[in-house]
Amino acid sequence: MSLDARDPMVFDDAPAETVSPLPSDTTAPTSPPLRATGLRKAYRGRVAVEHLDLTIAPGETVGLLGPNGAGKTTAVKMLLGLVRPDAGTAELFGVPANQPRARRGVGYLPETFGQPPWATGRQVLSTHADLAGVDTDDRRAMLDRSLYRVGLAGRGEEKVGGYSKGMRQRLGLAAALLGEPKLVILDEPTSALDPVGRREVRDIVRDLTEAGTAVLLNSHLLGEVEAVCERIVVMHRGRVLTDRSVAGLPTGQEVRITTDGLTAAHLAVIQGHGMLGHHDDRTAIVALDDTDATPELITSLVAEGVNIRSVVPLHSSLEELFVRLVGDAVHDDDAVGRKGAGR
Amino acid sequence: MIIMRLSLREAISRRVLAASTVFSVGFVGLFWLAYSLAFSSVAESTSDPSESAVVAGILTIMGLYTVQFLASFLTILLASGTVASEIDSGRILSIMARPLPRWSWLAQRAGTFGGMAMVYVLLMTGAVLLVAAGIGGYQPLNPLRGMALLALQVAVLVALGAGLSTRFSTVATGVIVVALYGLAWLGGIVEFVAGALGNQTLERVGIVVSLLIPSDALWRGASYYFQNPVLLMAAEMDDVGLPFASSVPPSGPQVAWAVVYVLICGTLAVRSLNKRDL
Repeated sequence: MSLDARDPMVFDDAPAETVSPLPSDTTAPTSPPLRATGLRKAYRGRVAVEHLDLTIAPGETVGLLGPNGAGKTTAVKMLLGLVRPDAGTAELFGVPANQPRARRGVGYLPETFGQPPWATGRQVLSTHADLAGVDTDDRRAMLDRSLYRVGLAGRGEEKVGGYSKGMRQRLGLAAALLGEPKLVILDEPTSALDPVGRREVRDIVRDLTEAGTAVLLNSHLLGEVEAVCERIVVMHRGRVLTDRSVAGLPTGQEVRITTDGLTAAHLAVIQGHGMLGHHDDRTAIVALDDTDATPELITSLVAEGVNIRSVVPLHSSLEELFVRLVGDAVHDDDAVGRKGAGR
Repeated sequence: MIIMRLSLREAISRRVLAASTVFSVGFVGLFWLAYSLAFSSVAESTSDPSESAVVAGILTIMGLYTVQFLASFLTILLASGTVASEIDSGRILSIMARPLPRWSWLAQRAGTFGGMAMVYVLLMTGAVLLVAAGIGGYQPLNPLRGMALLALQVAVLVALGAGLSTRFSTVATGVIVVALYGLAWLGGIVEFVAGALGNQTLERVGIVVSLLIPSDALWRGASYYFQNPVLLMAAEMDDVGLPFASSVPPSGPQVAWAVVYVLICGTLAVRSLNKRDL
């Protein structure tokens, strides 16, 4: 999928690039692209990641979710051998991640893709192509394709110092995808992009998945993760709260009703239309038995004298799951803290 | 080679080289002017060729002393950001996520910066000696040995700077290496004064400092080979010599220690980078 509206066929004459064989080709053919077992990391006594187990199969797209400070970036860095774990192991294609050869066939977009401002976009990509061991007869055409893929066609001769944040992120994505890696790790790949750019990145991730590339997507944008990932791993305060398939999430028939006040009688009315979820004295979340039942519910509540402020369909059931998981974890942690303080 | 190319372009883009070149051309021009004026003034006032040779020697050593000073600061400036600047900018993440050993990356960067500083010090030394030879017919004892020792001095500063930059910020590394360089200079002066006074305790202090950082000891060793025999003889007769130069050749263990020092700093730098979280 191209980020640009131009005809992608323009590059079809260029010879395809090849990369050095992956370690898995010769060492462990059955090893998954990524496998982490019991990873732990603490900085000056503060635990950043606690017992992380994660395996990603070929062609699988996994979303790594969590609030700020959850330990996602530390986890990603350990998976790439950039940070030494205090305990546990991380393997890429069956090779310990701290060995350079493990990173053959891996594309990585860091959260901040820092590049020398004096270099042009094409120079940056060329350097990364060299480092990735990309071997091609026509380097120029290959780089043109890469720039085109991320919507930077015609901008490769400009210096990176003059790029916007979004353009740098696009360039970083192009660098990560050089040499057709079998595992791509993207750390907040759309944080600097506009909505159109985000959609384009989603399309690229889908293309990668279709091509059999394993993808680990670290993002705080739940809709983005839900749209492209098959599996989600939610982290909070260094721990994995859940590792589950997106297909197994609730169907998304929930609505959030906000009122001036809800009594027990009002809640009983709501329960007549579906399963009552989280609620307090003003708001309630209800999983409707029927997706078309919203007007009926509103009519019933108004008839009971409820003053309704808003009714919001919750399209992203992942969002609800995330908020619930993280919220519960915070509640649990606070409760433990209070208990400890009370001793 | 990839990282060497990148580091070279980085150094050029930082305009450190351009500024150094402009400044150095200016310095050599000024040296040529001062040297010719001073030398012609001495030649007019005395007919003793040995006196002229001593003056030529002193002027040359002063010029070379400035050269090694400039080269040292250029080296420190380049080397102090070897690792730290890459970490600060976040550039190291995307590079180290490639199948590239950390030691290779570090060796290529430090090697490029060190190589550039060595080329600089050799060109500048050659220019000063050419001016001295052209105007005053100056003939140093052994310029190649002197240049080799100055190149070793650059290697010492690069290895130290690169090693420290694996743990400290660019600015902190620069400050520490400049401070150590200053300490070495002070140690050299202390050793000189101790030699003149015959104070062995002070002399030991100077030796300890030169073990801690052998940059000044290497300059002093180089300065011996840059002097002409007449100047060395005059120093021997005075029993003192120039305060910023040495009238005795560098000892074998001294040079060997400098080589070992580079190797130790380099090894520790690699170990430190390997253990460091990025």
